[in-house]
Amino acid sequence: MSRLVLKFEGSTLKEVPLGNQPVTIGRSPDNDIPIDNLAVSNYHARVYVEAGSLVVEDLNSLNGSFLNDIRVERAMLKDGDAILIGKHHIFVDQTHDVALIEDTWHKAPAPRVNETMVLDTRQRREMFEQAVAAGERSQLSPDRLRVPTLAVLSGRTDQKEYRLVGKLTVIGRSKMATVRLRGWFTPNIAAQINKHEDGYYLGRGDLVPEVNGAEIGALTKLNDGDLIEVGRVRLIFMYRE
Amino acid sequence: MRIEAGARTDVGRVRRNNEDCYQIQPALNLYVLSDGMGGEAHGEVASNIAVETIIAHCQQAENSRTTPIFGEPHPDVSERTNRLASAIRLANRKVFEMASANAGHKGMGATIVAAWIEGQRLSLAHVGDSRAYLLRAGTLDQLTADHSLVAEKVRIGILTPQEADASEMQSVLTRAVGTHENVEVDADEQMLLAGDALLLCSDGLSRMVTDPEIASTILTSTSAQNAADRLVDLANENGGVDNVSVIVLRILAKPEGVLERLKIWKRNTG
Repeated sequence: MSRLVLKFEGSTLKEVPLGNQPVTIGRSPDNDIPIDNLAVSNYHARVYVEAGSLVVEDLNSLNGSFLNDIRVERAMLKDGDAILIGKHHIFVDQTHDVALIEDTWHKAPAPRVNETMVLDTRQRREMFEQAVAAGERSQLSPDRLRVPTLAVLSGRTDQKEYRLVGKLTVIGRSKMATVRLRGWFTPNIAAQINKHEDGYYLGRGDLVPEVNGAEIGALTKLNDGDLIEVGRVRLIFMYRE
Repeated sequence: MRIEAGARTDVGRVRRNNEDCYQIQPALNLYVLSDGMGGEAHGEVASNIAVETIIAHCQQAENSRTTPIFGEPHPDVSERTNRLASAIRLANRKVFEMASANAGHKGMGATIVAAWIEGQRLSLAHVGDSRAYLLRAGTLDQLTADHSLVAEKVRIGILTPQEADASEMQSVLTRAVGTHENVEVDADEQMLLAGDALLLCSDGLSRMVTDPEIASTILTSTSAQNAADRLVDLANENGGVDNVSVIVLRILAKPEGVLERLKIWKRNTG
């Protein structure tokens, strides 16, 4: 499928497939390729197929459209062309066209197997009833009814105990940290704890924490009573009643 | 913290239409990817509207702090993460209204996975089976939980992961943007570290390419764009049965000042 690729300073921002409808480019958000830049007119240019050829047309824009660095009002496009609008480039990519045409010629249309569908409300309810019947709802495990807490055993912190209320708990010197560590050489993000559906997981920051004396590798699920060491701070993770 | 982004979407080897789309907003540090559904060429309408609505709502909130939050905020995540979830709920309503108003658009919907980065903090929100992965210190972790029938059955323990992989029900979603008047959005956050790579992808990647292949491809790529291109190529080489889209972000350290270098040296020498 032919497509237009929007790039800014070398990064790809957006790709738009080319079909039968013209593709519009401009500052207004209802364009197919909106570009939020004052150098771009509200409806700046459009690209469309005419008599089998791809054409770019400037829509009387203030600052113009440039094809391969030449200002154009209307011009035919070929694979690899670059349209410059403001500071954004739009590249024409038709490399996949040949394969697609052959494909159309020789094969019957692909069957729509695997068509994505969404359960309706009744089907969802039935599924959850099934789950409750299986008695496996992790949300009802006893840990969820108690308050996860970090208690400080030693080291310089701003409090002696922290309740974990959010999904993300940061341990470090950062102002955003829940457990704020002191000390000139302490990193902003020393470690972090993420809340998942089935419990709390400790992960590394700019330090690799230890749990019960062993450095953690990947994310490590915290159990009641685990001893955590981050730098010179020692904490106990527990579920308070 | 510098971010290098690369992205690619491709129709794949079997389908005729690409219903996926993505958009990157470097000025906002916002990355959104969507996989449309509904067939008959309306999937891409849903995914495009969803992505544009999310970007517009976040941009509006950046310009004006008083922009109202749409829907019920999550109490356990930051304001910015709530903003992202709000944008997805708004996109849901917009696609839903359009699908209800126009008989030709009936039944269209989309998945969304969106990442918004402020400083080191990643805000992540999703609906459906498009995924976010974090590659840190050589280990790939899936940050999102699929809203699909098989994944939900695995989570509640009535299906094994092996049964899920073999199931013919993999395309059945339990949540999507635009199919109901309201949608529950999953929102999460994470602190990013220098050296991390973040991947957002549609199921056209995650069903075609294994986790170890994803990890090794990103680790051996010369740039984020190179990683995105190679992941899409790999999905196509492995069959390409669906549209495939990826956004790859590499988190790079800022050039350190003397003071920061001294701290790191001190940290490493104890």
